[in-house]
Amino acid sequence: MSDPRWDAIVIGGGHNGLVTAAYLARAGRKTLVLERRPLVGGAAVTEEVFPGFKFSVFSYVVSLLRPEIIRDLDLPRHGLQILPLESTVTPLDNGDYLASWADPDETREELRRHSPRDADASAIFGHLMHHMAMAVKPILGMIPPDPTSLSPRELAGLLKLGRHFHGLGPERFHALHKLMTMSSADYLDEWFEFDPLKATRSASGIIGTFLGPRSPGSAYVLLHHYMGEIDGAFRAWGFQKGGTGGISEAIASAARALGATVRTDAAVERVLVTNGRATGVALATGEEIASRLVVSGLDPRLTFTRLVDPRSLPDDLVDGVRRYKFRGSSGKVNLALSGLPSFTCLPGNGPHLRGAISISPTLAYLERAYDDAKYGEFSRHPYMDVVIPSMIDPGMAPPGRHVMSIFVQYAPHDLNGGWNDAKREAFGDAVVETLARYAPNLKSLILHRQVLTPDDIERITGLSEGNIFQGELALQQLFFLRPVPRWATYRTPIEGYWQCGAGTHPGGGIMGASGRLAAAAILGAAG
Amino acid sequence: MSASGADVVVIGGGANGLVAAARLARRGRRVLVLEAAPDAGGQGRVIAFAPGFHAAPLAIDPGWLPPRVARDAGLPDLAVTEVSTPHSVATGSGGFLTLPREPERAAEAIAAYAKGDAAKWGAFTSRLRRLAGFLEELYARPAPDVDASLRELPGLLALGRRFRALGRADMFELLRTLPLSVWELADDWFESAALKAAVAAGGVVDLQQGPRSGGTGFVLLHHLVGAPAGSIRGRVPWRSGPDAFTEAAVSAARRAGAAIRFDAPVARILVRDDAVTGVALRSGEEIPAPAVLSTADPARTILEWIDPVWLDPEDIRKVQNVRHRGCTAFVLYALDGLPSFPGLAPDALAGTVSLTPDLRTMERAADAAKYGGIADRPHVELSVPSLLWPGLAPQGRHVLVARVHYVPYAATQALDGRVDAAIDAVSPGFASRVLHRVVWTPRDLEERFGLRGGAATQGELALDQILFMRPVAGWGRHATPIGGLFLGGAGTHPGPGILGGAGWLAAERIP
Repeated sequence: MSDPRWDAIVIGGGHNGLVTAAYLARAGRKTLVLERRPLVGGAAVTEEVFPGFKFSVFSYVVSLLRPEIIRDLDLPRHGLQILPLESTVTPLDNGDYLASWADPDETREELRRHSPRDADASAIFGHLMHHMAMAVKPILGMIPPDPTSLSPRELAGLLKLGRHFHGLGPERFHALHKLMTMSSADYLDEWFEFDPLKATRSASGIIGTFLGPRSPGSAYVLLHHYMGEIDGAFRAWGFQKGGTGGISEAIASAARALGATVRTDAAVERVLVTNGRATGVALATGEEIASRLVVSGLDPRLTFTRLVDPRSLPDDLVDGVRRYKFRGSSGKVNLALSGLPSFTCLPGNGPHLRGAISISPTLAYLERAYDDAKYGEFSRHPYMDVVIPSMIDPGMAPPGRHVMSIFVQYAPHDLNGGWNDAKREAFGDAVVETLARYAPNLKSLILHRQVLTPDDIERITGLSEGNIFQGELALQQLFFLRPVPRWATYRTPIEGYWQCGAGTHPGGGIMGASGRLAAAAILGAAG
Repeated sequence: MSASGADVVVIGGGANGLVAAARLARRGRRVLVLEAAPDAGGQGRVIAFAPGFHAAPLAIDPGWLPPRVARDAGLPDLAVTEVSTPHSVATGSGGFLTLPREPERAAEAIAAYAKGDAAKWGAFTSRLRRLAGFLEELYARPAPDVDASLRELPGLLALGRRFRALGRADMFELLRTLPLSVWELADDWFESAALKAAVAAGGVVDLQQGPRSGGTGFVLLHHLVGAPAGSIRGRVPWRSGPDAFTEAAVSAARRAGAAIRFDAPVARILVRDDAVTGVALRSGEEIPAPAVLSTADPARTILEWIDPVWLDPEDIRKVQNVRHRGCTAFVLYALDGLPSFPGLAPDALAGTVSLTPDLRTMERAADAAKYGGIADRPHVELSVPSLLWPGLAPQGRHVLVARVHYVPYAATQALDGRVDAAIDAVSPGFASRVLHRVVWTPRDLEERFGLRGGAATQGELALDQILFMRPVAGWGRHATPIGGLFLGGAGTHPGPGILGGAGWLAAERIP
C-alpha cells in the first residue's frame, strides 16, 4: 500500500475522540475524525428537537472536563462558555424543601434549619472530599500500570502509585479505601442524619450506574462526580452556553485549528487489518481510507467485537468484553414548556429554577426506584435531576417559553419484554406524573415531550445498552481493569489500533481524560 | 490463679480467646480467660435447645483452622468427617440439585440440568480454590497497611510473591472478583438458575445485602478459605463432634498453663492514664492485669466496657460506625425422625440444603431486609447435624437447623411461620414431625452469645471492613489507642470463620 495520507483516524466524534484527535494533531499527526451522525459530540450534542426549542439531548451538565484540556486546547477561544448551575433544591414530601445555594453560608444556614448537626458535619465532610478528590486526581491523569507485569516500566508505574498512596498517610488512605468500596448511603450515614440530605447527595453515586444508594461501589461514583466540583475547571456544575453540543463544537474547532479534519456523516463499518496491523477503515458506503493508526472512540463492545473480527483477538480479551457490564439504567425526558413550572415547596419563579431540582426525597425512595429496575421494570417513582436551561440561557427556547431537561433513573436497558413505543410513553408518563406531584402545573405547560430510553440512547448515539459512561464505573471495571485486564493501556492486540473512549480509564462524564490519556499513550509509543 | 491477677486477661472463651490464651501461656505468660457463659466455645458452643436435643447452629460451618495456628497453640490434628457434606439447592421445579465436594461427581449432577455448566464446574471450583488460597496467605499474617514499617517489608514481599505465583490470569481474576457481586460471577460462568443460586448462597452468608451487591464475590471467597477443592459452601465438619475444636483448644490452653473461668461476665475494663490496669467483673470482683486481650465484639469492648473519658471522640465515632447488621436467624427443630424431602437424597441433609432456587428470589428476600422487614420467602438453608453426630439427639430422632437470611435485627414481624411454610413446601408432612421448635432471632443471638446487633461476624464482612480497616481504619494490627488493650475477636483481622486466626495474631502483638 502506498504511503497513507493520514497518520491517524479517530472513529467517533464524541468528546473523547475529538480530544484525542486534537492532541494528535497538536503533535503534528495528520488526523481524521469520522463521525457517523451529521453532527459531532456523540452523547454531548445540542439539537433543536422541536422548532425553536433547543436541547442538550443527552448529557446536559458539565463539571468534570479536565482543566488541562481546556488550557492545552485553548477551548474558551473556540467557544467554551460555561454558565454556572449553582443551586440544588430537593422538594420534600412534607411540602418543605432542602436547598444548597451558591453561597456556602446560606447553604449552611439552610441545612441548619433541618439539622444543626449535619450543618456542622457538612463543612468537615466537604474538606475531606476535597482531599479525596486531590488523592484521586493523579490517578485520573495516569495511564494505568499493569499490576501483574514485572517489566521495569510497569513496576515504575506501580511504585509511583505505591508512593502516592503512602504519601497520603494512613488517615486519607483509609478514607479513600472507604470511598472506593462502600455504598454511598453507608458512607453518608457515617456523616449525616437528615435523610433527604443523604438521599440528595447519594444520588450522584447512582448516576449512570445500575446500583442503588445502598449498593457497595456507589460511593466511588459519588467521588467521581465530586471531582468536578472540587478540581474541575468550574468548581461546580454548569451549562455550556447554547447547550452541551457547544463543548463538542469547541473541541472540534480546536482540533481543526490544530490541523485535524473532522468528517461527519461518515459511518465506519470496520477497521482494516492486514497481517495483525490496522491499516485504515472501511466506511458503510464502501469507501476505504488508509491510515497509519486507527483509534476507536466507541465503547469496548463495538471496538472489539464490531469494528474488528473478534475471532482475530485473544480469547481472554473477547471473554472480558463479554463480561464487561454496560447495563444502561438512565433515561432522559426533554420537555418544551409554555411557561415556568411552579413547585409547591417554592411557588413561582425564583433562584431555585436556575439550578437543579433533585427528586430524591429519601434514601428509601431512591432504593425502591432501584428495586423496580433490578427486576426489569422502570421505576414507578424515579430519581430525577431536573434543570431548566432556558432560565440561564434564554436562547434555548422562544421568548417566554422554556426547555426542561429531566435525567431519570432507573430505566433498565433490559426491560421486561423489551422497550416499545407504548412502554416509552408509559415511562414518560411516570416521569411527568411523579414530577407533577411536586410541581402541579407542569402537565398543563407541556407543549412537546421527547422521551429517551436506554434503547433510544443506544440507537441514536451507538452507546451499547445505552450506558452513558460506555460501561459502568464499578470497581471491577476501573483503572487497570477498564475495560478489561491487560488492555487498560489504550492499546489493543492489533498493532496500530487504539482505544480512546470513556470505556477506558478513567471514563465517564464529559471529562475528556480518556481521550487525553489515549493520545499520550499513542504519542508515547511512537517515541 | 493468685489474687494478684494475671499478666494477660483474655476476654472470651471462644476459638480466638482459647487460641490466644494457649499461645500466650506457651510463651510463659500468666493467662486468665474470662468467659461469660458456663462453658467454652463462644458462638460455636453446643447448646441443649430442647430436652435431649443439642445443636451448635453457628458452627454448622466449622470454619478454617489455619495449620500454623494449630501448631502454635499446641492443638492435635483434628480429623474431619468422612461423611459426605454436599451443598444442595432446590431447583424450583420440585427437585434438588446436589453438589458433592468432589468436582467430577458434582459435574455429573449438574449435567442433568445444564451440560455446558457441567463442563465448566471443574475450572470454576479450581479457580475459587486458587483465589481462596491466596486469602489464606493474607489471613495468616498481620493485615498489611499503608504505613507499614520496614520490619514488615519481608512479609509484604512474601505476600507479593504469593500474589504473583497466582499467574497473570488469576491475579487479575482475584482483583476483579473481590468487588464483584456473586450474581455477576455466577452469570459469567453459568446458565442454570439453580446452580447460580447454589453458588451465590456462599456469598451472602451473614450479610444483609443480596447477591446483586458488590463485594459478595469477596464474601464467597472468604468463606472458602480452608475448604477443600471443589467446595462452594463451607468447610468439612469435624469427625468427633461440633465441639471437637473447642475441646482441643480448652485442653491445649490448660496444658499450656492458662486458667479459664466460666460464668465470669465482664462489666468494665479498668483504665488509668491511658493504659489498662485490669478487668472488673459483673460480680464486682476486680482482676488486675497489665494487658487485656478482648475477643468480644470490638464495638462492645470499646463502647460498653471502656470509660469514654479515655477515648478520643473521633475513635468513638469510628467504632460506632462499624456496621454489624446481624440478619441471620435460626430455627432449631427437634424432630421425631428424619424428614423426607422428595427429590433429595436423605444423606444430603448432612451438608447444607438451600431452599432458594434462583438469584431473584434471594435478592427479593434481601430487599425486604433493606427496609427493615422480612420477606414472605426468606432465604433458608437447612442442615441435619444429627446425621453426622447422632449423639446430638435421642436415638432415632434428629435435629434440623434452619439458617434463615435475611432477618434484620430490628424486624418486628414473626419469623417462624414463614420458615415452617418454606420447609413444608418441600417436605410434605414436616410439621407433624416437629417435637420442639426454637427460634433465635438476631436479638436472641445478641442476648445469648453477646453478639452486638446479632452479628456473628462481629462486623459485617465488606471490603471497607476487612484487613487494615477491621475493626476500624488503622486498628488492623490488634492494638488500640489504650495501652495494653488488644482486640482479637472475629471483629478484627482476619475476621469470622477462621478459628483462632485473630486471637493468634493479637497474641503475637502482646509484649
